Amino acid sequence: MSSRRSGSTSTWLVLGLGFFFLYAPILSLIIYSFNENRLVTVWSGFSIKWYGELFRDQQMMKAAWISLQLAFYTAWASVVLGTMAAMVMTRFRSFRGKTLFGGLITAPLVMPEVITGLSMLLMFIALRGLLGIELPLGMTTIWIAHVTFCMAFVAVVISSRLSELDKSLEEAAMDLGAGPVKVFFVITLPIITPALLSGWLLAFTLSLDDLVISSFVTGPSSTTLPMKVFSSVRMGVSPKINALATLLIAVVSTVGVIGWYLMARAERKRARDLQLAANQ
Amino acid sequence: MASVDADAAGSNGTMVNSAANPPAPSPDRYLVIDTVRKEFDGFVAVDDVSLTIRKGEIFALLGASGCGKSTLLRCLAGFETPTAGRIELEGQSLIGLPPYERRINMMFQSYALFPHMTVEQNIAFGLKQDGMAKAAMRARVDEMLSLVQMNRFAKRKPHQLSGGQQQRVALARSLAKSPKMLLLDEPMGALDKKLRSQMQLELVNIIEKLGVTCVMVTHDQEEAMTMAHRIAIMEQGRIRQCAKPDEIYEQPNCRYTAGFIGSVNLFEGRIDKDEKDFVTIRTSAFPDPIYVAHGVTGFEGMEVAMALRPEKLRISKHEPDLKHNKAHGSIEDIAYFGSHSVYHVRLDGGCKVMCNFVNMKRWDSESFTWNDPVWVSWGDLEGVVLSS
Amino acid sequence: MSANWQSLRSRLPGSRWAVISVPYLWLLLFFAIPFLIALKISFAKFEMAMPPYSSLLNWEDGFLVLKLRLENYLYLVNDSLYVNAYLSSLKIAVIATGLCLLIGYPMAYVISRMEPATRNIALMLVVLPSWTSFLIRIYAWIGILKQNGLLNNFLLNIGLIDAPLKILYTPAAVYIGIVYAYLPFMVLPLYSNLVKLDRRLLEAAYDLGARPWRAFLAITLPLSKAGIIAGSMLVLIPVVGEFVIPEMLGGPDTLMIGRVLWQEFFNNRDWPVASAVAIVMLIILIVPILIFHKSQAKELEGRLA
Repeated sequence: MSSRRSGSTSTWLVLGLGFFFLYAPILSLIIYSFNENRLVTVWSGFSIKWYGELFRDQQMMKAAWISLQLAFYTAWASVVLGTMAAMVMTRFRSFRGKTLFGGLITAPLVMPEVITGLSMLLMFIALRGLLGIELPLGMTTIWIAHVTFCMAFVAVVISSRLSELDKSLEEAAMDLGAGPVKVFFVITLPIITPALLSGWLLAFTLSLDDLVISSFVTGPSSTTLPMKVFSSVRMGVSPKINALATLLIAVVSTVGVIGWYLMARAERKRARDLQLAANQ
Repeated sequence: MASVDADAAGSNGTMVNSAANPPAPSPDRYLVIDTVRKEFDGFVAVDDVSLTIRKGEIFALLGASGCGKSTLLRCLAGFETPTAGRIELEGQSLIGLPPYERRINMMFQSYALFPHMTVEQNIAFGLKQDGMAKAAMRARVDEMLSLVQMNRFAKRKPHQLSGGQQQRVALARSLAKSPKMLLLDEPMGALDKKLRSQMQLELVNIIEKLGVTCVMVTHDQEEAMTMAHRIAIMEQGRIRQCAKPDEIYEQPNCRYTAGFIGSVNLFEGRIDKDEKDFVTIRTSAFPDPIYVAHGVTGFEGMEVAMALRPEKLRISKHEPDLKHNKAHGSIEDIAYFGSHSVYHVRLDGGCKVMCNFVNMKRWDSESFTWNDPVWVSWGDLEGVVLSS
Repeated sequence: MSANWQSLRSRLPGSRWAVISVPYLWLLLFFAIPFLIALKISFAKFEMAMPPYSSLLNWEDGFLVLKLRLENYLYLVNDSLYVNAYLSSLKIAVIATGLCLLIGYPMAYVISRMEPATRNIALMLVVLPSWTSFLIRIYAWIGILKQNGLLNNFLLNIGLIDAPLKILYTPAAVYIGIVYAYLPFMVLPLYSNLVKLDRRLLEAAYDLGARPWRAFLAITLPLSKAGIIAGSMLVLIPVVGEFVIPEMLGGPDTLMIGRVLWQEFFNNRDWPVASAVAIVMLIILIVPILIFHKSQAKELEGRLA
């Protein structure tokens, strides 16, 4: 087709420049994590000593452990709450207050973090004053804050899968006598499993990544990894951070590639099955 | 043996247009498609197709899905570039011209109306691309709107229209630029059956009124028969037969066309006696040879098929007073259509034939029922002998 | 929605309401009510106490007195720092959104026109960086943009400049950081919109005589309006309140309201003023948030009807 032919050079130009912009900073981080020199941008030889320093940094390791735990618990809670919210948005007939519900589930996607963080802290403090509920600032409050904004992202991921899903499958199951709860667990849930998985991973990384909201609602004893990184970056650039970044990137891209491979394989298998079915 | 239309030689046809000495453009050679071939990654979608289309003609490309008809149409529109071959409109080559430089417009399958534009904006779109002056454009849009009787809906968006109305807008849009040729891609595909027959006639009336040359693609034989002056039947990228609708029906040139258009009883056999003014064909279906009251190009012992349309067969309770072409059997299945019934008769030889019976009188259909012993028979000139 | 669903649901109101109420209450308690509390505290007065603000309700001479102090808001209006910070944040957000659109639209367009297999790889490559830490990706730019950083070294080496450019700690660095961090948020909604575009509409436009560029302007661009709006809001709204990027890449004079709020809260410990800053920001952003919500709701419930 004519449009495709004329587009091929500019296609690669646009994508090449775009991806260069997206990946050059990451590549520079990785390369200089193996730099022997303390000055991050002067190359003086290959070394993995910064990785050693990173692992010997007790505070950093403690912060990483706290963040990983938080991210893990946040991911589970966000998937449960986010799935419920997605079901409400895409499958439930409207009820009084659905508009407000829709607003509450989409607003966290864009709400500036400083506003969310400050308001939540004020709420935790007020909860103590008004109801006498003692919520010590720390892991629990960070977890609540993270679940609140992560569930919104999970809800979007799952809603878009649910709205693509052919509703007649669920209706067929009901027609055959399964109740709504059973239909959800036996039909809907297995089909949206890939979306649940990507929602889980999304919530995990969002929680692992959050600096601003955590900074507001944390207590004196709970320093998360981003908070630790932020304070050490403020002191000055350190190759240790490059080493940490490289490790994070390695983990994320491995998970990403595996996830992509699994999904591509499932897709191919489905295409092949369809082909077979069509040929018979 | 059926002859192939002189100016429509398919790749497997008998006549080949002399490509070496192309004749001057004439109304008879308005659009010339000459050995056009289109391959996709080694798959041949269009296999050396040659066609000539007259000025003002409505021409249908008919075939099952995947037969290459749509690809050929897209080559005419300019969305695909043929791998080889010539396409000429009024003597000028279209090869290499992008769609926006061809004076050919297309009515797309399910119309492709621009959803964000009103009916008049849709119709004016093509005129705007030509930089037509505002006033002239206004007038032309109004003219097109009245042509398709859609003036009342000028300000509506496509999704506010019914299927039939959308089709009228699509037609008006593709005719607004007075194209040299109009392409229709499955024009009735998005309409329900009742609306279809009404719109078919309406569409033909408008096209004939404007005298625009039209190539349409369809998989619906009824649509092709009703609308087109000539039909080309395509299969696996080739043209099997190209002729007028009645010729295609009454004189198919091969087993494929005979089976594709309408229903048919096909009997395989060999030529038994080959005389100047008659032949007989021996088949396994009937005890006696079939008698055909005209000569054919062939030889004794040649493998042929006898094609008999169900409505050419007569069904009767008593043995008809004929010398040839009759057989005894019993009714196995009955399909009742109201206007007529189709009886599936199991002949004594074991073969099953379809036989139409027009229900001329009320309750006529009750004269035959399952397992009734019956006779089927046909006239000496009603069958077609097929060699390919 | 089918009658089937409804009749079964009405028979089982328990599970229906449980599914609605758990996320609903969570969001009300932890997302909606906090704003009301922030609103309340923005009317209070700073006090050296814990929590560091006065209460609004007091008993005075046997009366319950509700004191709503507007002084925090008056303070915001009268001190040019705050007004300037709001204006500068809006300016930066609008320009950065425009830049994201300029870079993101061609990328999304090109990806949406690829073969499905390559398309998925390209899309994954767009998303992948945003799965690694935001903070660390911003940090990477310090090494690139600083005085003796990679960019200056490169430009000096190829002889394009004679002296290193000052990019880090300038607005330019802030723009680079924002565009870099938020580009995927622009590309994704644009892509999912463009990939749904019916290609026959473009063919119809070509067929009617439109050259590719005009067909793009007349068909593709207007039909991708929803994607443009969603992507722009997804960038614009959070960027207005952005803290990390101006803090790390901007100079001390890069004024953004998120940074001001942070300092008000953490450095000055003036919670009432910080709350007032947040409430005013929220009021400024309410229209964009509503626009975003509308486009999002359409996306989520589009196929429900």
